[in-house]
Amino acid sequence: MNTTQEIFVETKKIDEIIASNAGKPGELLTVMEEVQEANEFKFLDPASMEYISCKLKVPLSQIYSVATFYSFFNLKPQGKNTIIVCRGTACHTKGSKVLLDDLSVLPGCKDALDSGESSFTTEDKQITVKTVACFGQCALAPVVAVNSVIYSNVTSEQILQILQNLQEGKKDENLKLS
Amino acid sequence: MEKKITITVNGREYKVSAGKTILESCKEIGIEIPSLCYLKDVSHNASCGICVVEVKGARTLVRSCVTQASEGMVVKTNSPSIDEARKTNLELILANHPKDCLICERNGNCELQDLTATLGIKEASYGKTKPIEPIDDTSLSLVRNPEKCILCGRCIAVCAEVQTVHAIDFAGRGLRTKVSTYQDKGLGNVACTYCGQCALVCPTAAISEKDESRTVFNDIYDDQKYVVVQTAPAIRVGIGEAMGMEEGALVTGKMVAGLRKLGFDKVFDTQFTADLTIMEEGFELIHRIKNNGTLPMITSCSPGWIKFIEHFFPKSLDHLSTCKSPQQMFGAVAKTYYAEKLNIDPRKMVVVSIMPCTAKKFECKRPEMNSAFGYWKNKLGLTDKDNFFDVDYVLTTRELARMFKQSGIDFRNLDEEEFDLPLGISTGAGAIFAATGGVMEAAVRTAYEVITGKPLPSIDLKVVRGFEGIKEAELDLDGTKIKVAVAHTLKNARTLLEQIEEGKSPYAFIEVMTCPGGCLGGGGQAIPTTWEIREKRAASIYREDSLKPIRKSHDNPAIKEIYQDFLKEPLGHKSHELLHTEYTERGVY
Repeated sequence: MNTTQEIFVETKKIDEIIASNAGKPGELLTVMEEVQEANEFKFLDPASMEYISCKLKVPLSQIYSVATFYSFFNLKPQGKNTIIVCRGTACHTKGSKVLLDDLSVLPGCKDALDSGESSFTTEDKQITVKTVACFGQCALAPVVAVNSVIYSNVTSEQILQILQNLQEGKKDENLKLS
Repeated sequence: MEKKITITVNGREYKVSAGKTILESCKEIGIEIPSLCYLKDVSHNASCGICVVEVKGARTLVRSCVTQASEGMVVKTNSPSIDEARKTNLELILANHPKDCLICERNGNCELQDLTATLGIKEASYGKTKPIEPIDDTSLSLVRNPEKCILCGRCIAVCAEVQTVHAIDFAGRGLRTKVSTYQDKGLGNVACTYCGQCALVCPTAAISEKDESRTVFNDIYDDQKYVVVQTAPAIRVGIGEAMGMEEGALVTGKMVAGLRKLGFDKVFDTQFTADLTIMEEGFELIHRIKNNGTLPMITSCSPGWIKFIEHFFPKSLDHLSTCKSPQQMFGAVAKTYYAEKLNIDPRKMVVVSIMPCTAKKFECKRPEMNSAFGYWKNKLGLTDKDNFFDVDYVLTTRELARMFKQSGIDFRNLDEEEFDLPLGISTGAGAIFAATGGVMEAAVRTAYEVITGKPLPSIDLKVVRGFEGIKEAELDLDGTKIKVAVAHTLKNARTLLEQIEEGKSPYAFIEVMTCPGGCLGGGGQAIPTTWEIREKRAASIYREDSLKPIRKSHDNPAIKEIYQDFLKEPLGHKSHELLHTEYTERGVY
């Protein structure tokens, strides 16, 4: 194991997570999920993956395989706020690509997502932009989730307002699920 | 008696062995079902959809590589819907595969190319859909080109199940699915042993050896350089196949003649240093037994195995023999003993190895493998920037075949020639290093006579021959009984190491070979390498042994001479300087 790696989740915490899931079906998935959750930046950092591999005796290549299969897992630090733009068919026809393009006011965002990255996080770690295949809220398209709250029939004006509010640290009171 | 079942294939009834898949049963009765991802004994993840057949009563086409044949089953292996499904599935695979066959190293030896011809695909109907992933050339041994990968999963299966190394796995999902290492670090930066079994089973050129044949040609053409070549025991039963001869063809003399035609200044035999290894390792074993040293002692000839134990069992490194592999002993001896004999500057000497092995490419560049430089440093007043390695290049069987072909050598019709002296003289004991159990047998031939002072009752130690995963034997060395074991594949090596770490190993001496069947089934050998082919290569190796006038390493006159004139004694000062080594703790990452 590489000893110079930054520690994001204490091994004691990982030990607890492993102990509480020992022997349960889907042990690896749950452990990975909870370790990601315990990470301040909500991602699976190398040190944690290597510790899990060692403790659960699951090869690193397999942990990486699982982590890259499920879009739920992040391999990069996530921002304090997350904006998820739905890219399902219904949202697409109602203009979700435009919403994603609107977010290109964040420098580097468009390049990252166009090159196939699954998410983009601003340098100051304040905002992460992701896409998802479908939220199952097609009647309300286009749909955007901001910090797990779903916003519907979103317009360019609204998404930029949300972004500004997040950047100013405000709670958004103006947009509600309609 | 073997249980039989009756199945109907293409309207005719057949009796076939029970418990087999439809694909195997059909093969048994002479009906070949085309397949791609399936590989006997290695991979059956049914991902390609080429081997589909119709089974009466089944809703859809079934994949014959994973479906068991059962009593009364009615199977069709050809029909319009089968043909269409096979073609469509193959065309979908071809959509993302480059069509640059003419300039591909597997041109003419590619399962995808063959299948495309077999199924009569005439046009590329679908366009590319996948992003291009970068080439992984991080290791000294292997190159991965993901663009040529068809995601059959054979490499992953062989790495996980045969070798228990798990260096690679599928990563990503959907169109972004790829075979990759942990964090896409590349094979050079993870716990990969470089055994090359992945390259051996790859149906395309998605994983292959790092080709150095061009550099070797350049050195041969350079008049200032004195280029000597050594050939591993397993090459003489592999290169014939790679040159289009029959499986397991024993072609020692033709190989020597071909190498001379390529322009090597001297053609030598790694079997000479295999004999030298037996002297050093045999004496090391005797020393350990007599002096309560660390036992069991484990052989150290196989560099994939060395990297495996360094990664996965670093606590057990003391069990490894300190002997270098025959390849490395050769380099060290060539650039000291032989250079001195010829009075040539060791810096002008280039040592090329022909090996059945991709891990050897890494081994020769291990920083400690520069003993000849250490030997000459003071004598010639060299500084660290003059550093040179004992072995300069390692070429696999496949690379040598490429060189022969490029040089217009009519290999099949070459007249046989003899190795050069003195580093080309070897015994039957050196030859059998190519087969699993061979090092053990060779060591016993010498150790028995050294310990007991009596001639060996029977020279053939049949109990350690054959392809059983772990073989064991008890030897009576004039009253001292020792147990020995022989393992091939890293999975079996792991079993023996776990036993050692639990303190339950009953053995004094263990031989480990990385690849299935030993070096004759090595990752650098001719493609294809199947168990049937390994059997034939092994038979040829034991024939080579039995044809040798001298069959025990300590009786090799060239070995006697090198001890008399240069090394003085096994485990002596010079041996330690040139022929022994140390290991590195690596851990898993």
